[in-house]
Amino acid sequence: MSHHHDDQNNFRLHTPAFDKLNKQLDRRNFLTKTSLGIGALALGSLIGKSWASGTGAAPAAASNTAMDEVINALPHFAPKAKRIIYLFMSGGPSQIETFDYKPALVDLYGQDLPASVRQGQRLTAMSANQSKFPMVPSLYKFNQHGKNGTWVSELLPHTAKVVDDLCVIKSLHTEHINHDPAITFFQTGNQLPGRPSIGSWLSYGLGTDNQNLPAFIVLVSKNAPKDQPLYTRLWGNGFLPSEYQGVEFRAGKDPVLYLNNPEGYDGSDRHEMLNYLNRLNKLQNSAYGDPEVDARIAQYEMAYRMQTSVPDVMSVTDEPNEVFELYGPESRDAGTYAANCLLARKLLEKDVKFVQLYHQGWDHHGGLPAGIENQCRQTDQPTAALITDLKRRGLLEDTLVIWGGEFGRTVYSQGQLAPTNYGRDHHPRCFTMWMAGAGVKAGISYGETDDFSYNIVKDAVHVHDFQATLLHLMGVDHERLTYKFQGRRFRLTDTHGNVLKDILT
Amino acid sequence: MLDFLIFSGRLHPVVVHLPIGFLILAVLLDVAAWKVRFQYLRQAVPFVLFVGFISAVVACLLGYLLSLSGDYDAVLLERHKLSGIALAVCAGILLVIRLQITSFSPRLFSGLLVGMLVLISYSGHQGGNLTHGSDYLSMQTLLEEEREKPVSPSVALLYEDVVHPVLQQKCGQCHRSGKRKGEFSLSSHTELIAGGKSGPAIVPGKLAESELYRRITLDPAHEEFMPTDGKPPLTEDETALIAYWIEQAGAATSKSMGVLQANDTLLVQVASVLGLESRLIPSSSSGNGDYNHIPPSLDMALVEALRNKGLNVRINLHQPVVLDVTLPDHAGLKAADFQKELMGVGLHVVWLNLSDNDLTDDDLAFLKELPNLEKLRLENNPITDGIADHLKNMPHLEALNLNATQVTAAGVRKLKENPKLARIFTWNPGDS
Repeated sequence: MSHHHDDQNNFRLHTPAFDKLNKQLDRRNFLTKTSLGIGALALGSLIGKSWASGTGAAPAAASNTAMDEVINALPHFAPKAKRIIYLFMSGGPSQIETFDYKPALVDLYGQDLPASVRQGQRLTAMSANQSKFPMVPSLYKFNQHGKNGTWVSELLPHTAKVVDDLCVIKSLHTEHINHDPAITFFQTGNQLPGRPSIGSWLSYGLGTDNQNLPAFIVLVSKNAPKDQPLYTRLWGNGFLPSEYQGVEFRAGKDPVLYLNNPEGYDGSDRHEMLNYLNRLNKLQNSAYGDPEVDARIAQYEMAYRMQTSVPDVMSVTDEPNEVFELYGPESRDAGTYAANCLLARKLLEKDVKFVQLYHQGWDHHGGLPAGIENQCRQTDQPTAALITDLKRRGLLEDTLVIWGGEFGRTVYSQGQLAPTNYGRDHHPRCFTMWMAGAGVKAGISYGETDDFSYNIVKDAVHVHDFQATLLHLMGVDHERLTYKFQGRRFRLTDTHGNVLKDILT
Repeated sequence: MLDFLIFSGRLHPVVVHLPIGFLILAVLLDVAAWKVRFQYLRQAVPFVLFVGFISAVVACLLGYLLSLSGDYDAVLLERHKLSGIALAVCAGILLVIRLQITSFSPRLFSGLLVGMLVLISYSGHQGGNLTHGSDYLSMQTLLEEEREKPVSPSVALLYEDVVHPVLQQKCGQCHRSGKRKGEFSLSSHTELIAGGKSGPAIVPGKLAESELYRRITLDPAHEEFMPTDGKPPLTEDETALIAYWIEQAGAATSKSMGVLQANDTLLVQVASVLGLESRLIPSSSSGNGDYNHIPPSLDMALVEALRNKGLNVRINLHQPVVLDVTLPDHAGLKAADFQKELMGVGLHVVWLNLSDNDLTDDDLAFLKELPNLEKLRLENNPITDGIADHLKNMPHLEALNLNATQVTAAGVRKLKENPKLARIFTWNPGDS
């Protein structure tokens, strides 16, 4: 991390923050200011001091940077959603065992995947050298649920009950076939590390609705198999000022590290110390104008407010039993997915703008049935409970809920195919996600895949389209929220992305 | 070789200023020398006249090369050419007189020299007409009143205020009287319709047959795309308005946007082209919902006043100004504390959250005066069925959160008389 940080410092010479600084200090401005200043002083001595001092500061204050213009234009549309909860199923959940019902596969059991379907698709090195690609149907039954008869796997009995609130998108596709580039692509719009994550863009663009909590909070399940790593840069600020990064709340005694006062040190001492530190930082800032000092000041202030707000929001002692029953037995064990869902609801109630949960362990190359049963057992009930809970509290009105992974899984079995055991490799060409809540049509399915759940036949949705839609629901035109860095303007969707008008209410 | 000649020719507008300067300087020196104090200047006159003459000859040569490229009004060109050459010849003759004919009357010489100024002016004016158009410096400029900028898009005249200025700005440098590239000028409406080498530029009512429209909407890489040579192309708004003018307004003059019954999108485009502060929704942001009933602008000081009272105010939309207001839970404020400030922005509030603040039905009587509310959160307040009286006639209210209040089924029934109110939340944590 520290290395990464140094790199950023070296290359941060073209951010709007630095441009602003450069503008303040460049030759022309310096001369203008000093000559104007001298002129004003001379004038002031001629016509009286009060007049000059009253107007002298005006021109400097009026200067507007390009960055301010981008921010002041927001929101571009009337937002439908005020907050987002993004349930990230890390590892790539199989669409075939969850939402993408393919009955025709039963008759094709064990047959080789036709070349006409694969169409030369690039495979990962894990299955590319298999001599056969035997197709395997879902081991689990599907049933129709809800008013519109949406097909849902028996692995997700609770989700099935709230399916009328979901907009199931079966036609997501991505460009990446391995975890890290695919997740990084989903979260930042580029497969290479270094771009700001979705939550950072929103935090930067829309600010915060709660001064006492970060606008972007991340919760990682402690009870998930950690088969694939997660990196903090997935909620990183990239080249945006660092106060916009996601803050991870950890499971256990200290949700945010170093937030508690050291032993034997009381709150007023701490406050006094922080006030002095703040003054020192401001002094430093007036001399050097490093935007990172601004960020540091903001973060200390936030940390101080979080000393009271975090213990408050983390405490679930006031929740009635009924709530724990709704979210499932694991919800009493802080740090589990279920407990995180409950905590997320509390954060959303406090108007935290972007809450992101990560639940790892969906990477079922082998032993898929056992693996996915466990994953669904851990996540199905809490996920459905979150929908139910938000809905009854009226929060689904202006909260967007998102569920999904970074890619899907192949129709063919990776490794040995046995009647009750098989695996599936990464599949980028189609996978399923769902959205629910503010601004999204409820109870619909969008997009279709072929009989093999291999290629999309209708309404393809690229990751950039998903990102554009997400921003749109928050009132942001994905083409207009930009940040200039290293000489060019960047945006979450780079030069791509179309808003999915068809799924919007 | 031809390229080089044309290149050199293009230096004419630069070089031509040398003879102008030198010859005028020669006149000044000669005239000043009649004063005893400046007598010594007379000695410099032959030299200055000489460089003036040489530069005039060079300017003539370059001017001739430039004229080879065509694109100029023949009559103006002929006048400029002849007067320019005459000027060079005059300068030459005067130089010879000064150097060779010592007996020549100094007074007469000065008179001739001053007379040359007339020729300089005439030739220069003709040259200027070639470059900038014959209407660039004319008496008309003095007499003509500039059209006043329309105050709103709907009173703007489509041709006079929009199409004509846009075409002048983007195309007028080449297609104007005096230059007429492609034998086409758009200085006047008649000339514009008439077109040029490629036929009529505009066919009223027929977009597909209008050469001008075809050219400006080609792929910019296309050879026939206009404006050519990397000059700034027309914007999307400008193109759309020209299309509208050709198709719907019959390419006619003196038609206002109001008379044409142009829709909002077009009015926004007109506002953007004219640089008017548009109070309308930007054309690019469709899907803003229908907020026509909300006043477009709002004094931000009123928003600040509300914020100073401790309420969170989010701006949900800038045009019109649409607000989302939240009273933080347990804010410790009474309704009377912020009511006045809230009313100040009342017409603009569409989302309002007053949950968890110990507010009663009576406290909330002011809600009636927030007619544009769409989503209202009142959960966790000691309110009762009485609240229904305040809310049942809200014309835009869609969602109402009454969780954990004392509102009963009777109250909900009353609320449901409001046909717009689609979602009422009355869940109580105890019920499950």
